Amino acid sequence: MLCIETNNLTKKYGSSLAVDGIDLEIKSGQVFGFLGPNGAGKSTVIKLLTTLMPPTKGELSVLGIDAAKSPLEIRKKIGVVLQQPSYEMTLSVENSLDKYGMMWDVDKKTRKQRTEELLTSFGLQDIRKKKNDDLSIGQRRRVQVAREFMHDMELLFLDEPTVGLDPSARRDLLDFLKKQVQKTGLTIFYTTHVLSEAEYLCDNIAIINKGKILAVDSPNELKNRFGREKTIKINLTKTSHSITDLLSGIPDCKIELEPEPTITINSSDSEVVLMNVLKILNQNNITINDLSAIPTNLEEIFLKVVSDSNEPNN
Amino acid sequence: MNQIIRLVYRNLTISINPGFIIWQILFPLIYIFVAGFAYTSLIENVPFGNKDLSYPAFLASGMIGFNIMNSTLISGIIIWNDRRHGMFEQIMSGPYTRSDYILSNIVTIGIIGLVSAGLITAVGYPVFFESVDFSIVTIPLLIFASVVGAILFGSIASIISTRLRSSEGFNVIINTVFLFFAFASTAFYPAQGAPQPLATAFYINPLSYLVDIVRAGIFGQITDFVIMEMAFLIVLASVLFVIATKLLTKLDF
Ligand SMILES: Nc1ncnc2c1ncn2[C@@H]1O[C@H](COP(=O)(O)OP(=O)(O)OP(=O)(O)O)[C@@H](O)[C@H]1O
Ligand SMILES: [Mg+2]
Repeated sequence: MLCIETNNLTKKYGSSLAVDGIDLEIKSGQVFGFLGPNGAGKSTVIKLLTTLMPPTKGELSVLGIDAAKSPLEIRKKIGVVLQQPSYEMTLSVENSLDKYGMMWDVDKKTRKQRTEELLTSFGLQDIRKKKNDDLSIGQRRRVQVAREFMHDMELLFLDEPTVGLDPSARRDLLDFLKKQVQKTGLTIFYTTHVLSEAEYLCDNIAIINKGKILAVDSPNELKNRFGREKTIKINLTKTSHSITDLLSGIPDCKIELEPEPTITINSSDSEVVLMNVLKILNQNNITINDLSAIPTNLEEIFLKVVSDSNEPNN
Repeated sequence: MNQIIRLVYRNLTISINPGFIIWQILFPLIYIFVAGFAYTSLIENVPFGNKDLSYPAFLASGMIGFNIMNSTLISGIIIWNDRRHGMFEQIMSGPYTRSDYILSNIVTIGIIGLVSAGLITAVGYPVFFESVDFSIVTIPLLIFASVVGAILFGSIASIISTRLRSSEGFNVIINTVFLFFAFASTAFYPAQGAPQPLATAFYINPLSYLVDIVRAGIFGQITDFVIMEMAFLIVLASVLFVIATKLLTKLDF
């Protein structure tokens, strides 16, 4: 089933275009990553999808419900952790969870049980009696994310949930989310600037810039599509000055002898190029000390896709 | 409806704390007893309709109206805090609509207004029991005053809270407005005998109307003028409520 479907989704703030005709189709039961530089339009898309504000143009349906017709019906089935903090100053941590559950009409017994579970899962047991006003920024963020799991939902929006979390809290959260998806079939719409996080968590990823979607695919497919260019470093036992001439005949690659005696090869067809290089080195009795291939990561792909889209002819 | 009850319950849990109770209930009571009797030597009797009220009785009944107005501050504070701390957006992205939110605020201040008016009536009773003239309209008039007053002043507080971003600005403006209402009204002293400009100011002030209605209920003096005041309050409360709702509906995220 399609969980989110948008057609030419557009949002203008005054005359500035924040979301520029987005078409999205997101299937249920996955973590969908939404990546893009500051001001790309990620949070705006989340506000549109959660019906916090209406689009300027275009259609959207969430969980099969038309957002223009029944926004409240959508909101009853989703959870949202917005980018900005939200909390009730005067409530204690445990009370925040409980009252939030109450607002979602969760019965008392379930509330009690979930509060305990979430306090443990989110490492909040020690500060359960503290008032929100007295928490650190990261602790407050943890309460905000934990709170959202007090109620049942089919789709959860998380707008940079890990900002301010320490590395272990971050990892705990990612694992918690993975488990929720497996256990309940929850769909998660996830934004982050930490690309290793997206790589670890997301089944599919969209990259957005200036309100436009640049690419949508699984992390592996994205790497295949945009990250074919690999870097291979061959460390030779000694420098041989004729080597640049010897290798200059190999097509489709950029070869540098720097820093000596290391050969750096950049190519989108790295396997073939590598075979050729090795053959020539072998024929000329040049011995190899060490060889390494640097795998492309999502970060490089992200940088490449975004910088390509920023080129003037784009 | 369920939604509104849940939001009201939340509003009450987040706003009722010792500080609020002291300000809302204890302070007015102390004021009635201390100021009421201290000023008796200055202001002997206050003519009201065909009666003479003792000053403590006059003040205690005025305090009920003042308290209804004061309770509505809570609505402004709730809206302001909700916006400031992201809860307004959070609630609006949950199973609620803006009308739920607005209605729940009105009900919240209605409840706080009624309870504090009731408490002051009960505790103030010994002070004004000599002059009371309870009738079948007493309770309805008190409820009318609490509800219409809550909507009227609650809307004013909401309007101010939607226009201001900083907490200092919000506090200064709302306290100034309410201080003006309180002291340029018939809550604490009668209009008779006041200098002409002040007496006029008393009657461009909705709190004076509210207090008149409360006194009419307690001392059994329902005149045509009081009925006119009731009509005026209904109209003003409706207009302000519509404006507050519009502003709150237009709030951007
Ligand atoms: N309330 C607003 N009024 C006017 N313009 C806005 C408003 N909110 C966002 N924008 C503009 O819309 C564009 C998209 O903003 P958005 O918050 O969606 O970006 P984002 O991708 O979430 O960025 P970040 O990574 O910094 O959170 C930006 O250019 C921003 O300046
Ligand atoms: Mg954002």
